[in-house]
Amino acid sequence: MSVCRHDDNGTILLKGVCSVEDAESLLQLLQATPRAPVDWTRSNHLHTAVLQVILATRPTLVGRCGDPWVAEWINVTPAYAPLTDCDC
Amino acid sequence: MNALHEQFVAEARELIHQATDDLITIEREGVAKERVERLLRAFHTLKGSAGVVELPAMSLTLHAAEDLLAAIHVGQLDATAAIIDQALACLDLISRWVDEFEAHRSLPLRADDDARVMTGQLRDLLLDSAPRQRVSSERKIAAYVGDETSAEWVLQLIRSERAQNFLRAQPRSIELVAISYEPHVGCFFNGDDPIALMRKVPHLLAFHIEAREAWPPVAELDPFACHLRFQAISAGNRAELSHIFRLVPDQVRFVDVPLERFGLRQSTGVDEIDNAALIRAVIAEQRRIVDVSDRSEDFAGRIGAAARVAANAMRHHLRIDLAEQIERAGATATRDRNVEPLLSILDDTIELIAPRSPRAEGEKAKTGGPSSGRTDVERAAGHWIRVEESRIDTLVNLAGELLVVKNSFAHLATRIERNIETRDLAQAIEREREAIERLATEMHAAILQLRMVPLAQVFRSFPRLVRDMSQRFNKKVRLLTLGETTESDKVIVDRLFEPLMHLVRNALDHGIESPEARRAAGKPESSTITMQASRVGDRLVVEVIDDGRGINPEIIRGRARERGLLTLEELADQSDDQIIDLVFSAGFSTAAEVSDVSGRGVGMDVVRTTAEQIGGWVSLASRVGAGTTVRLDLPISIAMSRIMVAEAAGQVFGIPMEGVTETLHLSPDRIAQIKGNDAFVLRDRTVPICSLAELMHLPETPGRKSDARLVIIAETGGRMVALEVDAIRDRLEVVLKPMQGLLANARGYLGTTLLGDGRVLLVLDLKELLP
Repeated sequence: MSVCRHDDNGTILLKGVCSVEDAESLLQLLQATPRAPVDWTRSNHLHTAVLQVILATRPTLVGRCGDPWVAEWINVTPAYAPLTDCDC
Repeated sequence: MNALHEQFVAEARELIHQATDDLITIEREGVAKERVERLLRAFHTLKGSAGVVELPAMSLTLHAAEDLLAAIHVGQLDATAAIIDQALACLDLISRWVDEFEAHRSLPLRADDDARVMTGQLRDLLLDSAPRQRVSSERKIAAYVGDETSAEWVLQLIRSERAQNFLRAQPRSIELVAISYEPHVGCFFNGDDPIALMRKVPHLLAFHIEAREAWPPVAELDPFACHLRFQAISAGNRAELSHIFRLVPDQVRFVDVPLERFGLRQSTGVDEIDNAALIRAVIAEQRRIVDVSDRSEDFAGRIGAAARVAANAMRHHLRIDLAEQIERAGATATRDRNVEPLLSILDDTIELIAPRSPRAEGEKAKTGGPSSGRTDVERAAGHWIRVEESRIDTLVNLAGELLVVKNSFAHLATRIERNIETRDLAQAIEREREAIERLATEMHAAILQLRMVPLAQVFRSFPRLVRDMSQRFNKKVRLLTLGETTESDKVIVDRLFEPLMHLVRNALDHGIESPEARRAAGKPESSTITMQASRVGDRLVVEVIDDGRGINPEIIRGRARERGLLTLEELADQSDDQIIDLVFSAGFSTAAEVSDVSGRGVGMDVVRTTAEQIGGWVSLASRVGAGTTVRLDLPISIAMSRIMVAEAAGQVFGIPMEGVTETLHLSPDRIAQIKGNDAFVLRDRTVPICSLAELMHLPETPGRKSDARLVIIAETGGRMVALEVDAIRDRLEVVLKPMQGLLANARGYLGTTLLGDGRVLLVLDLKELLP
């Protein structure tokens, strides 16, 4: 599971390799809290399905995507600085 | 900037303004056929002129906006707030580009990206709000793709920054492949990861990802259905690409990109083309000279000169390598008396310039990057004045008359030579002098007239501003502008925007009540803000009037007490008007926004400062429950005075430059005592030294008498005086404000002016001051 909720402020955190299954978890979290920011700085690989959820829901993105190819070619402006720490 | 570009910028600004006004009127008053047609025409004309000056990003963006507005025109769409917002945002973008184009003759680097985002948003609206439109739009896209080589998306991708940079760096033209990949909706279930394929594309130059159709609401989104379309440009070879996408041949399409057809020499301004043609002509001419040179005595000189000219032309064209080759060939030619190598290199050069080399462009991009950016743009915007033709005519006529009078002086001079009766002569001279005086006065007035612009120039930004702000604050507001044709000096009109914006903002935010509160107070729900300009004598009066809740002096009293701005006695003494005036003080404006009225001062000190800087003042009248009127009383034109800022006894004073002849450092030995006063000799005249500190009754700085003393030599009423100061700071052009209030009768001052840091500078009247 590479998608989880950061407890303190509701930020959704993407970590490591985000696979096709993670798209559903991400969507569910965003459906529950549409305004929650998504921190994608720590995911080093995004599956198309996960990226599609991000493009379709346009959440507030935190920082620069940790997947270098996505960071280079997908044009989305980040809003805040990334979280400092998380234990999930 | 050539005439074509200038005309484009002026016309574009005009059209943007007109379109903005029309959009706002359409939103307020509904769709009137005529207005929508005018709006469409404005967008269409803008699009056309953007094409003429070769700004494809701008043309494409406007094209998308035009499609949207056309749908409104034929009644397929309603002019919803979302559409108006988007169209206004589009105009904002175009307006920024026009500024940028004026400053740098090109669009910013990210213009292509911005254009893509904007066209996407405009197209989304077309699709979103009218399902029946979808079919025709898709047909349109299909039509584009049918003519594959000119497909819009290929063009957009090719023109993206990265693709352009890559191509510029290429010495020869190369093969590009455009890829369009639309994965099956169920591809995720087959274990496909489309982006994983895109990641493998070699030499990716441009990439775009988009939804195949508008996204459903988040609640209805199916995370496992792929709705994406990928578009890319690759410089890799086709075989390699086919191999990568071999498992999805039905979902991917490759299009070869013929570079010439996509205007790769994009960003080629007209000037640059002319430039290349010019250089080509120069080189051709040099070749001709070299070719016809016989072996006569000036052979070496001619060949040397021709080679040098050709080499310089190539340097100008940023082809240093060729320039050096030409120079070497030139040297060989003069030494060996053999022009063949030189002729051949010149031929090669002519050949090379014809199609402009991408390499030269690359170097140019490296060296001539945009400078400080924004500030240039700001400076460039608005340093033109459009002048009515009749005003220029007046000036031309006056100049003509002045010439006639000048000629008559020649006649007078001859009469003096012949020494004809002097009394007559004196009368004749006096007549001509009067004529010149009249003409000079009229000419001065006419020249001042050139700088006069109507207030409409500043008022016209406000309908948009009020619309946006009233939406934000959820208030119903009607803006009324009166007296737009009133004229004032351009400097004043330009500087009025900021204070007026603060006033309108304050009126909207704090003055005007919510529709519910207004209803409760028995007022109409919709409120009115009036901006009114008029000329009163030689003053310009601009008023911002709202019919809101007014300012309650008791609340201001309370705040002033809290913030310690006034003592209790002062508070009790002052009238309500004086108390309300406190909202302009800087201390008041920093108040925390806690109560309804506390924010009133936001920016109000800016209003007062700006008014005072241009030689005016501001006053405020308010009735609780009925509204507030802020009145700016300004001069019609600004008379600038040149002053010198000098320091004495730790204080600074302004000294008018017209009286100052020079400044000197005096060594102690040049100073003598005459009748108990210091004096010195300057060009055979004895000049008394007066200390400025002493004149101003300030304590002298001690212990400086042994050093060289700094004096300003001033001439007043035919007398020369040396004014001793501690230091000279600046020379400034300022607007002098006459002394007011308690100081109105103070002698020795011409007036005051505000320094850049907000301090008040007293400007001295030397005639009054000097003994």
